Amino acid sequence: MSDKASSKRRHENPSNFIKLLRSHRKDALKSLTRMFFSPLSSTMTVIVIAAALLLPSLLFAFNTNITALLGEFQNNARIVLYLTRDTSDTQALQVSNNLLTSSVIDSVDFISNEEALLSFSDAAGFSQIVADFDANPLPASIVITPNLAGLAGLDQLAASLDQMPEVELVQVDSLWLRRLAAISELIGLAARVLGLIVLLSLCFIIGNTVRSHIENRRDEIKIIKLFGGTHSYIARPFLYTGLFYGLLGGLLASLLQALIFLSFRDPLNEIFSLYDSSFTLPLLAPAMLITLAFSGASIGWLAAIISAYRYVNAIIT
Amino acid sequence: MISFDKVSKQYISGQYALAGVSFEIAKGQMAFVTGHSGAGKSTLLKLILATEKCSSGNVVVNGTDLNHIPRREIPSFRRRIGMVFQDHQLLNDRSVADNVALPLDISGFSRRDALRRVRAALDKVGLLSKEKQFPAALSGGEQQRVGIARAVVNRPSIILADEPTGNLDPELSMETMEVFEQFKNVGVSLLIASHDISLINRMEYRTLILKGGTLIDDTGLGELS
Ligand SMILES: Nc1ncnc2c1ncn2[C@@H]1O[C@H](COP(=O)(O)OP(=O)(O)O)[C@@H](O)[C@H]1O
Ligand SMILES: [Mg+2]
Repeated sequence: MSDKASSKRRHENPSNFIKLLRSHRKDALKSLTRMFFSPLSSTMTVIVIAAALLLPSLLFAFNTNITALLGEFQNNARIVLYLTRDTSDTQALQVSNNLLTSSVIDSVDFISNEEALLSFSDAAGFSQIVADFDANPLPASIVITPNLAGLAGLDQLAASLDQMPEVELVQVDSLWLRRLAAISELIGLAARVLGLIVLLSLCFIIGNTVRSHIENRRDEIKIIKLFGGTHSYIARPFLYTGLFYGLLGGLLASLLQALIFLSFRDPLNEIFSLYDSSFTLPLLAPAMLITLAFSGASIGWLAAIISAYRYVNAIIT
Repeated sequence: MISFDKVSKQYISGQYALAGVSFEIAKGQMAFVTGHSGAGKSTLLKLILATEKCSSGNVVVNGTDLNHIPRREIPSFRRRIGMVFQDHQLLNDRSVADNVALPLDISGFSRRDALRRVRAALDKVGLLSKEKQFPAALSGGEQQRVGIARAVVNRPSIILADEPTGNLDPELSMETMEVFEQFKNVGVSLLIASHDISLINRMEYRTLILKGGTLIDDTGLGELS
């Protein structure tokens, strides 16, 4: 009996937390319904949000791929040591073996000056020129595949190799790698600046949309205020409106991005294979989808908070 | 419960709607405010609901000095007042039941708990059969009664009514008054603005008479009748 009474009381006076959850669920549904009532303008808004999110997102993705590519090429980077003329093949082999003991060197490949000449004459059309040589003009060389990441390490290794007496010249094949790194840095910066601009414009777009939703319900808001509705009670459905717009925009953006990647995948992979790279363009990464959806939703929520604060408070009763 | 002390209200237009009005309404007391159109009846109710601020004097309601109420405390203050508006103020895109449920929804009731009270309130004003209809489908008198059901549904400590019988025939008017009396009998204070002299005469309650914003009588019907 008393058990029944207490359970009834619990039912009639649910905790504030349960009340809050309940009204949140109701407001979320309410705002979704309202969005479905104006499908055209809602769709347009979502598309605009998606397009705005897509710009920095594509740049970030592009940059991520360039960075990955950069790492790939760094692994393939070669250092070529051209040896002095008075280095004998035996000495050169000795040097090669010494180099192999270094932890930052993966493999070495000694190419004697005869082998160099042979491959030079093999190359189309050069055999006659080679035959005309009195003596072999080509130096012996050691091709090193380093076991390093990063341009700085590569430069350091090259500098120390240059100290060796047998070495005439060190050639690091890294200039274009440097350019790529610089470009990648630039793209990263551009993506961040663009991201900031997009953040502000999204706040503006979503804030404005939420404002028009508020204006459309001006009379309703007035009446609710007359009956003691708090700011958060009135604003909550509109916050969900902002959240859903941002979320849907983010999801659409990641869908579009996946489509764009898909259409670029084959031609790009072909280029990569031309460069003898094992790198392949990844398709839609779940992390990207989550990031886009999450940033869309949180920007939407934030913009709606600002908009609701301004425009709900402006309705005076 | 409600206390006015030398209250004046001047609108931005310069118009004085109330001038030096003083009275008190105790807990469980029911009173009428009457006077010709433009006498200041609605203004008086608006001051109590804190939708308007007085220009001078003091208005104290439920222990709250309305000259100094912080903005963020107005919602909880209003939740203890049930107001019937002259122009109904119903939400046209919500059903009758949802309109009546508004104060409960604001207070965080679940739909199920709210529905029980909504039905009871609608039953009191004789509109239970119309709970699923929309306001536009109702007559003016029915809309007015929906507004009355909404005003009482959250068991407020004060009920204010602005011309609650304006669109009702005498019989329905009397029934509405009986609903109000039930609330008076459980300790609710009621202030009813009306220019329906014959109704007020029949009711025999305390009557405040306003003329041009001044309180000219505070008992019987005095010179207006
Ligand atoms: N918002 C307002 N702005 C300016 N004047 C107003 C406003 N509301 C009412 N008034 C004026 O105040 C006086 C009292 O109005 P009101 O309180 O509505 O009287 P009643 O309800 O008794 O008819 C009237 O002269 C009216 O024109
Ligand atoms: Mg009036």
